[in-house]
Amino acid sequence: MSKPMIEACGIDKTFTLRRDGRLVEHRALKTVSADLHEGEILGIVGESGSGKTTLSRIMIGIDTASKGEILFHGDRVATRREWRDLRRHVQYVFQDPFTALCPTMRIGKALAEPLAIHGIGSREERPARVARVLEMVGLHPDMAGRLPSQLSGGQRQRVNLARALMSEPKVLICDEIVSGLDVSVQAQVLALLLDLQKRLGLSLIFISHDLRVIRYLCDRVLVMYLGEIVEQGRTDEVFAAPKHDYTRRLLAAIPDRDRPAHHSPIDEALK
Amino acid sequence: MTAMRQALLDVAELSVAFPGRNGPIRAVDGVSFRLEPGESLVIAGESGSGKSMLCRALMNIQPGAASVTATRMDWQGRALGALSPRDWRALRGGQMAMIFQDPAAALNPLLSVGRQIMDVVNAHRACSRAQARSRAIEVLGLAGLPEPEARLASYPSQLSGGMRQRVAIALALAAAPKLIIADEATTNLDVSIQAQIVALLKRLQRELGLGLIFVTHDLDLAAEVGGRLMVMYAGQPVETGPVQTVLKDPCHPYTRGLLRSAPTLHSSRETPLQPIPGQTPKPGAVGAGAPFRSRCPVSVEGVCDVRRAPWSEAGPGHRVACNRFALDGRGGLP
Repeated sequence: MSKPMIEACGIDKTFTLRRDGRLVEHRALKTVSADLHEGEILGIVGESGSGKTTLSRIMIGIDTASKGEILFHGDRVATRREWRDLRRHVQYVFQDPFTALCPTMRIGKALAEPLAIHGIGSREERPARVARVLEMVGLHPDMAGRLPSQLSGGQRQRVNLARALMSEPKVLICDEIVSGLDVSVQAQVLALLLDLQKRLGLSLIFISHDLRVIRYLCDRVLVMYLGEIVEQGRTDEVFAAPKHDYTRRLLAAIPDRDRPAHHSPIDEALK
Repeated sequence: MTAMRQALLDVAELSVAFPGRNGPIRAVDGVSFRLEPGESLVIAGESGSGKSMLCRALMNIQPGAASVTATRMDWQGRALGALSPRDWRALRGGQMAMIFQDPAAALNPLLSVGRQIMDVVNAHRACSRAQARSRAIEVLGLAGLPEPEARLASYPSQLSGGMRQRVAIALALAAAPKLIIADEATTNLDVSIQAQIVALLKRLQRELGLGLIFVTHDLDLAAEVGGRLMVMYAGQPVETGPVQTVLKDPCHPYTRGLLRSAPTLHSSRETPLQPIPGQTPKPGAVGAGAPFRSRCPVSVEGVCDVRRAPWSEAGPGHRVACNRFALDGRGGLP
């Protein structure tokens, strides 16, 4: 197995919330450790509030841990310079393709922006690079002149992916990026992700509440529940023989057309 | 002909059209079905398939610009087209009730749960405050809320998403309707809550003899709900039959494409998903031919682009609207 690229060691995260006028501490992550290996697709699955987004945000430094540390290629990330170095190699793809793009900025400009921020390439080289990346995600280079409102949901999600790929990252964090898409379009985006991962040798953290998508896409899976990782392992093994009671319950709740009649979670719940 | 029980809803050739620059745009085009008491009908389709607009037309809450036409639209033998606004108000919420995708938007944030349910009870039957209150407690219990009496004073913001959807179900049950229309009612919920809510709807259907129209984009969930399935594409129904039959032996290329592109609990990368190429046509772009023709792997040149497919029998109670199927009886399968 390849060596870990990003490691999270003993991460704790506490948010302070105001509830009924009182301040209460909410422990979103409870001493969580996880790692991402080079070239793998790591799935994080769990229900809302389980801490999957918080963990992934802390792993790439867009949120800070209350306790614990992050290692990048085996070295502790501590200084601002080290964080900036990590972040250059990691890009986040957001869930909602409608709010992630500025409605008045043309696609080409939105895609060139990360290059300007990181100071990559000259002004003259950028349009060619935008065209190349658009083709990479299966869009016509003419798309650069369009506005987000002229694109369908699936096309917007491709533009989102393209923007994340502009700075040639090593790691992509995909946070529920196919949840809002129709299944026929979702399958197109999943095929594209697999293709990009293989061609560019990317490591992927794929966050989803849909176990069916996780099962299909991921090499390894972390199952989170109330701020803890309750189970992790190779996806096929976890799905074939779940060890934790929560994983078993989660799997049993997934609708499944192939399940024999009278074995559905719904029939169980009816008893 | 065998004597049929009186249907709750009997609909033939229902269409919903909006005025467009080049003639009317049909959001729903030619939907027919019968629903008897205690039966369930699952309507499945992707965004733009017209499934939500169909539900709205059934409840007569379609947008003002829409015009609804049908050759038949009967509620328990009564033509819905002849109803006055006053009759509609009694029917809607009283006899047929709807549960929406977003319970936060369906509930009034400023009123307590009990007040909202009692308002519905009072709107549909003459009863005292105490009677309305006890009915509210009863339906909250039916909807599976723990400690229903204590919940009366709660506000929607104090409840979780799953609890809010249970309150929305209680609200729908308040006036003892005969039909419940659930429009993507579990889509925003976590899977374990989704399983509970579907189980609840099935139990209510069985115990109270309700008719259920369940709208979803998830064919696996359709299988769990059971009953009859109608698959819609671009406003048109393309295949209908018993849920298990349609999913085991899909005859329309769109139904097959949908099943092949959706991952299941058993799929893995070794057998790649097969996405349907392209995207759903824009409203009004379908024209005269078969709606799926631009993405269809088995479309027939010279037929699918000019002719809308006739219905063919694919099996007992299983019908498909596909030109290819009408020609070869297989729908292009080897």
